[in-house]
Amino acid sequence: MADVAIRFKDVDKWFGKLKVLSDINLAVVAGEVVVVCGPSGSGKSTLIRCVNGLEGIQGGDLIVLGESIVRPGVSMSGLRTRVGMVFQSFNLFPHMTVLQNITLAPVRVRGLGATEAEKTARALLERVRIPDKADHYPANLSGGQQQRVAIARALAMQPKIMLFDEPTSALDPEMINEVLDVMTDLAKDGMTMMVVTHEMGFARRVAHRVVFMDGGRVVEEATPEAFFATARSDRAKEFLSKILSH
Amino acid sequence: MNYQFKWSVLWSGQSGVWLLQGLITTVEISALAWVLAAALGILSGALRTVPWKPARALATAYVEFFRNVPLLVWMFFWYFGVPPLLPRAVQDWIFNHGAEFWAGMFALGVYHGARMSEVIRSGIQAIPRTQFEASVAMGLTTFQAYRLVIVPIALRLIVPPATSESLNLLKNSSVALTISVAELTFQTRQIETYTAKAIEALTAGTVIYLVLCVGIAAIMARVERRFAIPGLIARGG
Amino acid sequence: MKRMFSVVVAVAVALGLSLASSVGAQQDTLAKIKETGVLTIGTRTGSPPFAYVNKNNEWVGFSIDLVEMLVKPEVQKAVGKSIKIEKKESTPPTRIPLLSSNAVDLIAGTMTDTPQRREAVDFSLTFFYTGAQFLVKKGSPIKGVNDLAGKRVAAQQGATNAKIIREKYPQAQLREFPDQPAAFQALLQGQVDAYTNDGIQLYGLKAKAPKPDEWDVVGDFYSEEPYGMAMRKGDAKFKAAVDAGLKNGFESGKYFEIYEKWFGPKGELPYPMTPQVKAYLLKQIGK
Repeated sequence: MADVAIRFKDVDKWFGKLKVLSDINLAVVAGEVVVVCGPSGSGKSTLIRCVNGLEGIQGGDLIVLGESIVRPGVSMSGLRTRVGMVFQSFNLFPHMTVLQNITLAPVRVRGLGATEAEKTARALLERVRIPDKADHYPANLSGGQQQRVAIARALAMQPKIMLFDEPTSALDPEMINEVLDVMTDLAKDGMTMMVVTHEMGFARRVAHRVVFMDGGRVVEEATPEAFFATARSDRAKEFLSKILSH
Repeated sequence: MNYQFKWSVLWSGQSGVWLLQGLITTVEISALAWVLAAALGILSGALRTVPWKPARALATAYVEFFRNVPLLVWMFFWYFGVPPLLPRAVQDWIFNHGAEFWAGMFALGVYHGARMSEVIRSGIQAIPRTQFEASVAMGLTTFQAYRLVIVPIALRLIVPPATSESLNLLKNSSVALTISVAELTFQTRQIETYTAKAIEALTAGTVIYLVLCVGIAAIMARVERRFAIPGLIARGG
Repeated sequence: MKRMFSVVVAVAVALGLSLASSVGAQQDTLAKIKETGVLTIGTRTGSPPFAYVNKNNEWVGFSIDLVEMLVKPEVQKAVGKSIKIEKKESTPPTRIPLLSSNAVDLIAGTMTDTPQRREAVDFSLTFFYTGAQFLVKKGSPIKGVNDLAGKRVAAQQGATNAKIIREKYPQAQLREFPDQPAAFQALLQGQVDAYTNDGIQLYGLKAKAPKPDEWDVVGDFYSEEPYGMAMRKGDAKFKAAVDAGLKNGFESGKYFEIYEKWFGPKGELPYPMTPQVKAYLLKQIGK
């Protein structure tokens, strides 16, 4: 299993006295797209925020790209250059143009020259289908455009893994697809992805595997076909009935 | 009422030169102190929000210590309290080279730095925590995230309160006359001493302070518009 | 923040004046005193032995005694009734505005009678005579006003002697402080090499120093500092009453008794009167 990108081993996490992740065991192989779903408060966002160290873990081990991230002295910023993340609330930097948002980390962290970084950035904007917005400020973009810039910004670091934390939850319905399309392209290109989302259509079409969480535990994991056809647990059934009835 | 106004005292004799010298000293001491206050304010204001407790404690101690003691006391502290800690020869050298000005500048800068710190901190806390997360998630270090993202956004948010704090600094520079800094208020008193025309002298001083303050406020308003974050600050421009 | 207070008072007075000037009637001080039964004086709280608050929290001093014992009887005679003395604090920056705005009627503290000030106020007969000297550390190379080149000299802002140093001895590095305690502290700690003020003030400071023996008052008077009481300009009747009070004091010897009480060997600050000073004072009444 040389190509396991992310491995959770007996991971426990507390917020103070509240246990939010219990005994997580999960492996994501390189090139795999895993959709994490579950009711709110189930721990799914916390799960992927552990992968790039935005949340620490209190028990077990978490190995990302061959390195344990709980080992003392591990470089978090080094890890984060290899793991990109896209947030629900876009989090573009409002005082920078789209281009500056995208080139910031490549220039400041990778030490890339400005011209080269800009070239890459423009190519990425092409890829997320908004090449004409390079010099706009985030406030002048629609939500869907902002989220696509956020994806381009994460990709600019050439990550091996991409984490998506409810990337379409803050979007108006008509903009959801433009973001999902970009993510689909990315999946086709072979990116390793963990995606927290309620978009079951996306899960069905793109995911290799669906992980269902509840109460801080992984309750089920299965291929999308199996998950949607024959969810085994009652909680997954209840969740699916609610979410698919929309 | 037998007070006789004699406005000519303001431009006859040396009054004009004194007012000008006072104005220059006021601007010099305020500008230097402002730079110091801004640097200390940004540093300590940022430290008060970082996810590392000892840094927060240190910055909080600085702020509470310096802003809760009157400025006059700090003037005396820097002028009378600090030099004895230095070797005698160094003391003599600084006493011959404007110790009063530098003590006043430090008093003003360090005191207002503590006040500026509060302004900066409130600016940083107005920024959603996720901006910081997004920054570090890209591989920026905490320091880079503050320097490139958090502080630049905060500075744009706090222009109005920082302006009023800057005006306070300018006005408070008059306290430096207690340690013999010949700034604007000092010079207006000088004119009063020479001419016995207190009202004219005070009026001149008041008008100059007013013009300075209005000028600074106008410049800061321009700065605010120039650096406004599109969509974040909707102020008339 | 006494200083801020003085500024606030001065500004407030200035604002009040601009209003008052529209109705501005010439004030007759004696008429006002007759009406109210009160003579309000502006004086100091921290200038012993002229005017200060003593250990028993009483506001006393040489200047205050002169008003109580010499000026008051004459004013009473002039208004034909018994009056009360009320005291208000006045400082160098506030005293002239306080007078102009009628907040006080007479400044009786440590105010030097100068030609410039005479343009704004009237002065009584001189009631005390001193001159500027230097307070230095014992053994200091400064022996007088001619040894100041390159030296750091503290003075009190607004004092006549600061003006003389600035104009006539520019080689000195002048440091002006708004109040005496700060200037004296600067001398004690070595921020300055000398502190110049009226000799009488310097003797007072020396006496209060932690180790009085370490300090010397040096130099001849390089300025003349005749202290007078200040009044609103052009009120001849009131000035006549004040001067008459002082004149009676000089003639009857009562003035010298009061002097002895404060400056005699057992007084608050021993400062024997020289024959020259006595002659100067008596010359004013033609003796």
